Amino acid sequence: MFNISKTLSSPLKILCAAVVLSSTSGLMTAAAAAESAKATVNGMVCAFCAQGIEKRLSSLPATKAVFVDLRKKIVAVEAREGQSLDLAAIRHEITEAGYDVVKLETVAMSVEDLKAQTATKKPVRK
Amino acid sequence: MEFFNSLLRWLVTAFAMTAVFSAHAGPMGFKGSAMTMGDFSPNWQEGWVNYAPSSRDAVGVGALAMRSDDKRLTRKLSELTYTRLLKRVNGEHSQANLWFVGGVGPVSGNDFSGSKTLWAPGISADYETTRVYVSGTLRLYRASGMNHDFASARAGFSFYEVDYEETQPWFIVEVRRMRGLSEGIEITPMLRLINKRYFVDLGVNNVKQGRVNFMYIF
Repeated sequence: MFNISKTLSSPLKILCAAVVLSSTSGLMTAAAAAESAKATVNGMVCAFCAQGIEKRLSSLPATKAVFVDLRKKIVAVEAREGQSLDLAAIRHEITEAGYDVVKLETVAMSVEDLKAQTATKKPVRK
Repeated sequence: MEFFNSLLRWLVTAFAMTAVFSAHAGPMGFKGSAMTMGDFSPNWQEGWVNYAPSSRDAVGVGALAMRSDDKRLTRKLSELTYTRLLKRVNGEHSQANLWFVGGVGPVSGNDFSGSKTLWAPGISADYETTRVYVSGTLRLYRASGMNHDFASARAGFSFYEVDYEETQPWFIVEVRRMRGLSEGIEITPMLRLINKRYFVDLGVNNVKQGRVNFMYIF
């Protein structure tokens, strides 16, 4: 006897698996695209002087966006989709702009995420 | 009064020579950048532009017109300049710098004919945080039969901290003196506005003369 539920179950399972895999892979792609280099930089006390960091890092070919936070002493560089960041080059550019990198790490966040994160921790003006 | 003036002169010179000086707009930009600066008041008009081929050196050209307090003496100088960052100390929340600034070029005046070659070596130093700024400069302006040595000191504070994209207001007081042209000490309280794209000082000195400084990096 023809069992319709059995006949449908396999294609349904395959379809479900495909959807799950597809969405997972999409999430992984999005996460990879949102990878940023996050540097803790000594000496950043003035926006006019620190503009050199932004300009030099923005000119790197893999740079999508740059974020500078004078309060937290953080510089973040987000990579263009499909491109990887060269941490040594980032350290070099910050040093050439006249500052000292004390910590440099890769984080799975976009520059916008990092902005939002530091904004929520922003201290009250004093 | 004479003692007070002497003491002030000594303090200005001593401060300029030994004190901490600031990066609030050091005399050069970052590597590969061009920077222009202007300083304008009735007795002092100065402008220059320089280019930084390295993170520690800059070469440029400048022009300076000076006038004595009594308006009788004038000087006009064109100079080639060389700036060297001698030492930088980057702290977690501060920066300190020691600079050499040198210039050479022809100077003319209304009390002699033709022009003379003027040498202008100097040092400048600064220290700053996001809230406090102090700096000092000592520069010799020497030519045959001419001595217009210059000393200045600046100190100030910001009203509040800002984000990188915002404009930060500061209150700065500058004290300066130039030998042979101004026997008085010029004191100028200024409002300083610092943005990532521009740097401006606006003030009025102790003899009610307006003053504008600006810096811009290309």
